[in-house]
Amino acid sequence: MMVSLRTKSSFLKIYSWLPILALYISVLNEFDLNYLNLEYFSFNFPFILIFFFTLKDFKHFDYFLVFIAGLFNDTVVGLPLGISSLSYLLICIAAAYIRNITIRPNPVKDWFYFLFIISLINSLNYTVLTLFFSFDLILMSYLVNVFFTFTFYIIFVSIFKYYMRGLND
Amino acid sequence: MASSRDDFIIAIRSAFLKKSTKQKFSLLTLLSISIFVIVLSSLDLKVIKYLKVGINEIVYRSSFIVSIPENLIKNAFIQTTEYTTFFNRYKRNIIELENLKSNYVSNEIIQFENKELKELINNYALSSDKILAKIIVDHDSPFLKSIIINKGSKDKIKIGTNIYDQSYLVGRVIEVNYKTSRVLLLSDLNSNVPVTIAPQNIQAIVTGSGSDYGQIKYIQSGLSDALVDDSIVYTSGTGAIFKSGVPIGKLQSFIGGSINEYKVEFYSDFTQLKYVFAEVITKTEIIKPEEKVAENNDETNNPLNVKLKILEDELKIIEETNRKFQEENEILKNEINDLNFKVSNLNNQISSQKKTINQFDIDNQELDFLKLNLKHGHKCRRTFLNTDGFIVGTLEYKSCVLSKGANDG
Repeated sequence: MMVSLRTKSSFLKIYSWLPILALYISVLNEFDLNYLNLEYFSFNFPFILIFFFTLKDFKHFDYFLVFIAGLFNDTVVGLPLGISSLSYLLICIAAAYIRNITIRPNPVKDWFYFLFIISLINSLNYTVLTLFFSFDLILMSYLVNVFFTFTFYIIFVSIFKYYMRGLND
Repeated sequence: MASSRDDFIIAIRSAFLKKSTKQKFSLLTLLSISIFVIVLSSLDLKVIKYLKVGINEIVYRSSFIVSIPENLIKNAFIQTTEYTTFFNRYKRNIIELENLKSNYVSNEIIQFENKELKELINNYALSSDKILAKIIVDHDSPFLKSIIINKGSKDKIKIGTNIYDQSYLVGRVIEVNYKTSRVLLLSDLNSNVPVTIAPQNIQAIVTGSGSDYGQIKYIQSGLSDALVDDSIVYTSGTGAIFKSGVPIGKLQSFIGGSINEYKVEFYSDFTQLKYVFAEVITKTEIIKPEEKVAENNDETNNPLNVKLKILEDELKIIEETNRKFQEENEILKNEINDLNFKVSNLNNQISSQKKTINQFDIDNQELDFLKLNLKHGHKCRRTFLNTDGFIVGTLEYKSCVLSKGANDG
């Protein structure tokens, strides 16, 4: 009985840390699907994940770990250190802000607010990289990335909700 | 109005500063740290460099391990698509191999000549070792095109080291860690390669497009009209960033607006890279023969001797090429002998066939005569009653039979 309880609690522990684990796997792995040879196709899974779990004020979603994940992402992608961390933290701030001002949450409102936030952050990213670091970047890639991230948000949100329900049960 | 502004301030303050028990740092602190890190990473400080190298080593290895499941799926996908086109590619490869074999000999001669001449021009020789490197991270970011290889400063990789797939250029190293390096691919927007376009011999710069092809830029006006499809693009070596004479790709035209534009189709498929070669170049000074002589004997140190030495070297090159040509010549002679033998055999066959045809004609004539003989023989044969006839077997008899036959016909 004791052993079974201990196993259950360790499983619950892992389960509750899944979002952070998924964030780290996604920044290290990128989920780029480049072998499908779809031109411009890309979406930013960490943006969706961070926005959703900050919005829900998930207790195991540590901002410091998000910051470190940003550093990892910069290293993997080859961007100057700190750029992704800044983006991720800005998403956290935006999500925390909307959480504080919202009395009755509306998924569609959140969805469009998410579009506004990621557009703003990607614009900031593009500006910093081109102006301060002299990177040549394709604007179209950013636009497509924003579009697909926005589109996939609603799909991933339903999966995350299912996960949250499992945690509450 | 005042209350809504208060709400906004409270919400902002809460978002930025409120640090609940579960969070170790407030968002404002972390935001400040990240801006501080960006500023530091833009500065070229030695401490930051070492810190970056340390992080890179850990993150690249972790990324490689985390990517294993995705790579398995990717490899399965690639293998499936490869099997479907396997036979057609095999047939094409056989033809290509035959062509390559025929080009190999002449290439060897040219390479040898090239090396010797370069040594004559420069006072140093560049010897290069190509080390095989495994790609540990090849995430195709939509913004940057780069790969991570498992060789670093430990293996004498430097910033700017040329990276090859077979003998095709794929990029150059832009960041070196102890055991890993980042390679900027030719397809990246930030990549610029000085190239020569053959056979027109046009100098240009190929820049990455962010996609799987390159763009021709900085070409002298008017020269672009001379470009044609399938022209070979190879490095010109201008600027000494890339080694000269390394193939990159071929030109392909496409309609860009109202005019015909050209793009460079890379020989190497950057999405399918598993292993690459890093070219580590070592420079060794050459003590020229004339210098050696100068050390031993001052009398020989005059322009005439130097010229003689150069001529001797040239002679050596010519002798070497002659030897190669002679070898080729011998092979060709043997081939000609074989062909002559075949021709004489065929001639013999033709003459024997002619004989058979002649015999057949004679037999045919004899058969015709016998047929007519049966019909008209009694008219031509000399008998008691037919004294105008001829004796059987004589030429007259034969001509009589044939003439009777002809009259009938």
